[in-house]
Amino acid sequence: MKVTKQSRRDAKALFRACQVNGVLDENRVRQAVDEVLEKKPRGFAGTLSHFVRLVRLEQARRTARIESSVPLSPELQSGLKAALEKRYGQGLHFVFGENPDLIGGVRVQIGSDVYDGSIRARLDGIYEDFKAA
Amino acid sequence: MSTLLQDIESKISGAKTTVAKQNVGIVREIGDGVAKIEGLTDAMLNEMLDFGNGVTGLALNLEETEVGAIILGEYTSVKEGQEVRTTGKLLQVPVGKGLLGRVVNALGQPLDGKGPIKSDKSYPVEKIAPGIVKRKSVSQPVQTGIMAVDAMIPIGRGQRELIIGDRSTGKTTIGIDTIISQARLNKAAEASGEKDYRPLYCIYVAVGQKQSNIARVISVLEEAGAMPYTIVVSASASDSATNQYLAPFAGCAMGEWFMDNGMDALIIYDDLSKHAVAYRQVSLVLKRPSGREAYPGDVFYLHSRLLERSARLNEKSGNGSLTALPIIETQMGDVSAYIPTNVISITDGQIYLETDLFYQGVRPAISVGLSVSRVGSAAQIKAMKQVSGRIKLDLAQFRELAAFAQFGSDLDAATQAKIERGKRVVEIFKQPQYNPLSVEVQVVILWAVQNGYFDDVAVDKIKDFQNKLTDYLTSRKADLVAKIQKEKALSDALTAELKAVVTEFKQTYK
Repeated sequence: MKVTKQSRRDAKALFRACQVNGVLDENRVRQAVDEVLEKKPRGFAGTLSHFVRLVRLEQARRTARIESSVPLSPELQSGLKAALEKRYGQGLHFVFGENPDLIGGVRVQIGSDVYDGSIRARLDGIYEDFKAA
Repeated sequence: MSTLLQDIESKISGAKTTVAKQNVGIVREIGDGVAKIEGLTDAMLNEMLDFGNGVTGLALNLEETEVGAIILGEYTSVKEGQEVRTTGKLLQVPVGKGLLGRVVNALGQPLDGKGPIKSDKSYPVEKIAPGIVKRKSVSQPVQTGIMAVDAMIPIGRGQRELIIGDRSTGKTTIGIDTIISQARLNKAAEASGEKDYRPLYCIYVAVGQKQSNIARVISVLEEAGAMPYTIVVSASASDSATNQYLAPFAGCAMGEWFMDNGMDALIIYDDLSKHAVAYRQVSLVLKRPSGREAYPGDVFYLHSRLLERSARLNEKSGNGSLTALPIIETQMGDVSAYIPTNVISITDGQIYLETDLFYQGVRPAISVGLSVSRVGSAAQIKAMKQVSGRIKLDLAQFRELAAFAQFGSDLDAATQAKIERGKRVVEIFKQPQYNPLSVEVQVVILWAVQNGYFDDVAVDKIKDFQNKLTDYLTSRKADLVAKIQKEKALSDALTAELKAVVTEFKQTYK
């Protein structure tokens, strides 16, 4: 679907209105979507599709995905949470997951930042180095 | 002993492995060699992006929620949803003398099957041009070996001289002739062990041309023995538009290395019209707003930032230079089209080639009225200045008078003489392709014309007379040629000697 410039502008304005102190407010988001669907202004479909994209990107930016090969102990989890909140500020959403492919170590992704301390990443690095040489 | 073990064990246990932060994104859209990537919040403009599997991209559009990147090389393996990483590096190409004699693509990778490039240095493709403080004005000549150019539209080292004309009017030939001439001069200087001579290395950038044309140029350069002093950067019509857009910048980076290291280089962009078209294509698929003739708004900046990188550096900055000969193809001789006017206004003069002249047999088909070199006369050697001072004006006057003379047969003697002289000068300036003349021989011939030694030779015999005079000079009077080369000016003694030599030749000429 073609999203017009006006729809994009409207979506951006809607998105800004849903923020409280720079953090996205879930209630406001729901309320805004309900309101738009009810009133159906011109080009609302495009506006909402761009709005969804902005919300998705914002959520990804505030979500820390932590993957490890084995489940992390609660102490380690809280330690990680504290360290990440110190760097990225309060209000992060944490998702812990298991990924045996990593072999060992931890991979953390927040938005587009990735801290990959897994054994898999190091092996891949060595492989690339050999291939380049 | 146990303390030693404890010490190193505690040190090892205290060692921490650091994890580097990476910035990643996801390919959301891919097509026409352009990818739209979500994420990559830390990407820089013109930064290289790693798509994995050896595929690299270049970040060209930084938008609020996504990054628009062009993919260098094969883009069919890139898939939607694929992860992309920033590299923290700007696009670079290998530079150095190891590239001489090689044919490379826009990324500096070899295309000639002669093995890897021997180079340990690389330069960023996009670089800011040298500033005012580092520059000095043009003072040394580039001997193109084309008499019409060297006499009337001289080019200096560090100058940017545009070669402009319709299709098949001999634009590329002027560039190739210049390269061959440089190779001959470089070789001669190497053989004689001349210390003051500064070799001029050449870079030929082919943009959007047929591969057969590029192959022909390379074979001509090889036959003439010019390849050891030349780098060919090729982005043919079958290469992606992104590579065609990058090729001139890559060639320029290779030339800049010579300039920065106190050497002289010459770069030929063949041609910038196709480069502008390739950039238009890249811009349109990146969804940048289009302007006149659908070119993006920054098409002027595209060429100005490229050509500004050609410069003559002062002694403090190494005394190097980079001369540029951009080529522009016009449509139906229209020099006032968008891209031609842009490039004319950027360069320090232009050599305008006319179709009519070309088909009349005047080759190189240089239009004297429209061609100009704004700074090159400062770089001409004194001997050339002495003999070519009025020749451009004379020739322009001749063209005017010749047109006028068609209407009336009664002309006064002075006008008649001017027309006759003009006809001979036109003949003198005709020159076969890939056959550059040395500046000393040019000086002698022009001197002979200026002093009326050609006046009593029939117009159809002029070329024969000139060729025999050239042979006579190079084979029998090599010492006179050497003297002119050494003194670089025509003193009274030299003029007297010239007079004797040319008179002697005329007596023997049949």
